[in-house]
Amino acid sequence: MSQSSATSSVGQGAALQSSSARVNRHRADWRGWKFMWPFAVVFVFVFIVPIVYAIYISFFQKKMIGGTVFVGLANYARLFGDTQFWSSVVRVALFTIVQVPIMLCLAALMALALDSMKLHGTKFFRISTFLPYAVPAVVSTMIWGFVYGAKYGLVGSLNDLLGTNIDVLAPSVLLASIGNIVTWEFTGYNMLIFYSSLSTIPHSLYEAASIDGASEWQIVKSIKLPELRGSLAITVIFSIIGSFQLFNEPSILQNMVPGNAITTYYTPNMYAYNLSFTGNQSNYAAALAIVMAVITMAIAYAVQLNSMKEQMK
Amino acid sequence: MRNVKKVIAATAAVATLVGLAACGSGSNGSSADTDTDNAKGEIVFWGWGNGIKETIAAFEKANPGITVKYNSTGTAADTATALQNAISAGKGAPDVVMLEDPTVTQFAVDGSLIDLSQFGADKYESDFAAGPWNKLQYGGKPYALPIDSGPEVFFYNKAIFDKAGVDGESIKTWDDYYEAAKKIHALGDNYYITNNSGDANAYQPFTAQAWQAGANPWKVDGENITINMTEDAGMQKYIDFQQKLIDEGLVNTNIANWSDDWNRSLNDGTTASLIIGGWMPTNLESGAPDQKGNWRVAPLPQWSEGDQVSAEDGGSALAIPEQSKNKAAAYKFLEFLTHGDGAQVMADNGTFPSLKKILNDSDFQSAENEYFGGQQVNKVLCEAANLPVTKFQYLPYNPYAQSQYGDAIAPAYQGKITLKEAMANYAKLLGDYGKQQGYNVTVK
Repeated sequence: MSQSSATSSVGQGAALQSSSARVNRHRADWRGWKFMWPFAVVFVFVFIVPIVYAIYISFFQKKMIGGTVFVGLANYARLFGDTQFWSSVVRVALFTIVQVPIMLCLAALMALALDSMKLHGTKFFRISTFLPYAVPAVVSTMIWGFVYGAKYGLVGSLNDLLGTNIDVLAPSVLLASIGNIVTWEFTGYNMLIFYSSLSTIPHSLYEAASIDGASEWQIVKSIKLPELRGSLAITVIFSIIGSFQLFNEPSILQNMVPGNAITTYYTPNMYAYNLSFTGNQSNYAAALAIVMAVITMAIAYAVQLNSMKEQMK
Repeated sequence: MRNVKKVIAATAAVATLVGLAACGSGSNGSSADTDTDNAKGEIVFWGWGNGIKETIAAFEKANPGITVKYNSTGTAADTATALQNAISAGKGAPDVVMLEDPTVTQFAVDGSLIDLSQFGADKYESDFAAGPWNKLQYGGKPYALPIDSGPEVFFYNKAIFDKAGVDGESIKTWDDYYEAAKKIHALGDNYYITNNSGDANAYQPFTAQAWQAGANPWKVDGENITINMTEDAGMQKYIDFQQKLIDEGLVNTNIANWSDDWNRSLNDGTTASLIIGGWMPTNLESGAPDQKGNWRVAPLPQWSEGDQVSAEDGGSALAIPEQSKNKAAAYKFLEFLTHGDGAQVMADNGTFPSLKKILNDSDFQSAENEYFGGQQVNKVLCEAANLPVTKFQYLPYNPYAQSQYGDAIAPAYQGKITLKEAMANYAKLLGDYGKQQGYNVTVK
């Protein structure tokens, strides 16, 4: 199909060359696909096909007795009544509400500090805050896990020294401890996005501000913060998507945390993983993945709409 | 009927451009090429543990023409996951796979493994210890041959026991064990007779101790499953005993088996004993090197004085996936490692064997182990392996049962609910899952 349309479009193109450019703009032109097809093929196979396949298998159920049967929307119906699933969604939602603002505030403060030109060793500061992002999440989680250990870790050594009995891996504070790891990992990344948007501010604005006698605080408030708003929308959306996909940190910590503080359904992704690989229920896991994708997209879309409205003001 | 299914599956596969056919054609109607004498080619082997490379070298020397490609798949759980993936995908499974014993039936039920009696493996029944052999049968046929066995025994740190004034040798019953637990905890807040946090890794010790108590929490009869986690007499014995240890704070509920903290606590002596399978010695040597010379092994404490009842914890076996393209060569390797000369190579490298020939060998039994202060460790373990074992059934979805154990049981070890309540929740989880998988489940 693409072969024939490609040749015909070449013919059309030759004919059109003599006619006006206006017609050319409005006619469908397949020549673009000659450049597009390598991407399009890869895109279809690694993106579209897996999604369609996941949707397809989510309508089936594989049983040990009875094999694979078509069950329609039964997997989705079961999901809506699955308390384990909703508890994991609530957990990542709580995580997002608390962790994302803290991380982004820190990132914004760091970016403003770097941009203020009043620091020594800016380059070192910039690279060292970004460095945790370059460490694989698995490695950084293990490092933090060893730090957190209440008996044999750094926390344990501090406890011995101070005679305290602090346990940052206790179930009640575990989510905050994971939040700390994620914040450590991603603050530098977000800082860099903020910093790059601050560095696009034309220097003439600052000159004008100083001629007007604006204080440093007024410059931050009236020039820098409004500029950050655009990149804020991007970082918020990235962070929400990232938090809803929380997986590496809790699954690595699972073996380092005493007891069973991290359950097999701690986050939606972990639940999907365990359903699929130890529960032999990949069809149900596919339904879960699709519902989570819809939830995440809905939230990200709402955030984007909201921020667009803000910018219109 | 089967053909109709295949046609439907094939049509669906073509229509969606994905290889779904494997789901429809999983049944093992095909008979493998059983001509092992002329077997040739390369086979892929997934496994873990010590001594594998040495055994493969010995096999390739004895069988020119067959090469074995070994993939170390890490742990039992990872291997089962990888096999499950390959089966779902319809390709990519190895020719020979190592599995933990209770996992074998799950893969046998849906025809993912082949029945080894077509190669004559059923004739080996009397050559293996009864405990591991019985766990590998499905529908009366062997689906795997055992590599090792895991008779549950009592490992203790004599230095710590001496300090607490407890003679490890004198612990004959679980009541003695309870008294010892009190004395050891009296050494200091950090000292415990053992650890148990009720996590997923505590599942095997749980099944072993309940098994020894004569419990039958799961009864499987074809498609019918009866789950009785709280009313069964053996389960009640087990629950009451564990609850007593939890209530009096005599076990360390903050350390999970196989965690980094676990090894450290074994190494500094604060975890003073373990109730675990007979394959533990090599793990102790590598995990707790500082305690060299201090550990000892003793028979499992009994529920009633004078009893002689054992139980099995773990153990692994070799099986051949249905997907294998070279089953004859695969069986030849499987037979070599489990029943042939390779079994001795494995035993020499620290595997605790299941083959009676090696178990009862006097050189094997009299070997003195320096890590255990010169104790004849194998002798104690062999006696345990030869003890009678009552019948115990695992669920056909054992990996799932293991993964959910922590979710359901850990709250009891954290003191949030009682162990009996936790077991009832666990039974409900397992029952619901069984029903979803098409079994007729009764939860008592």
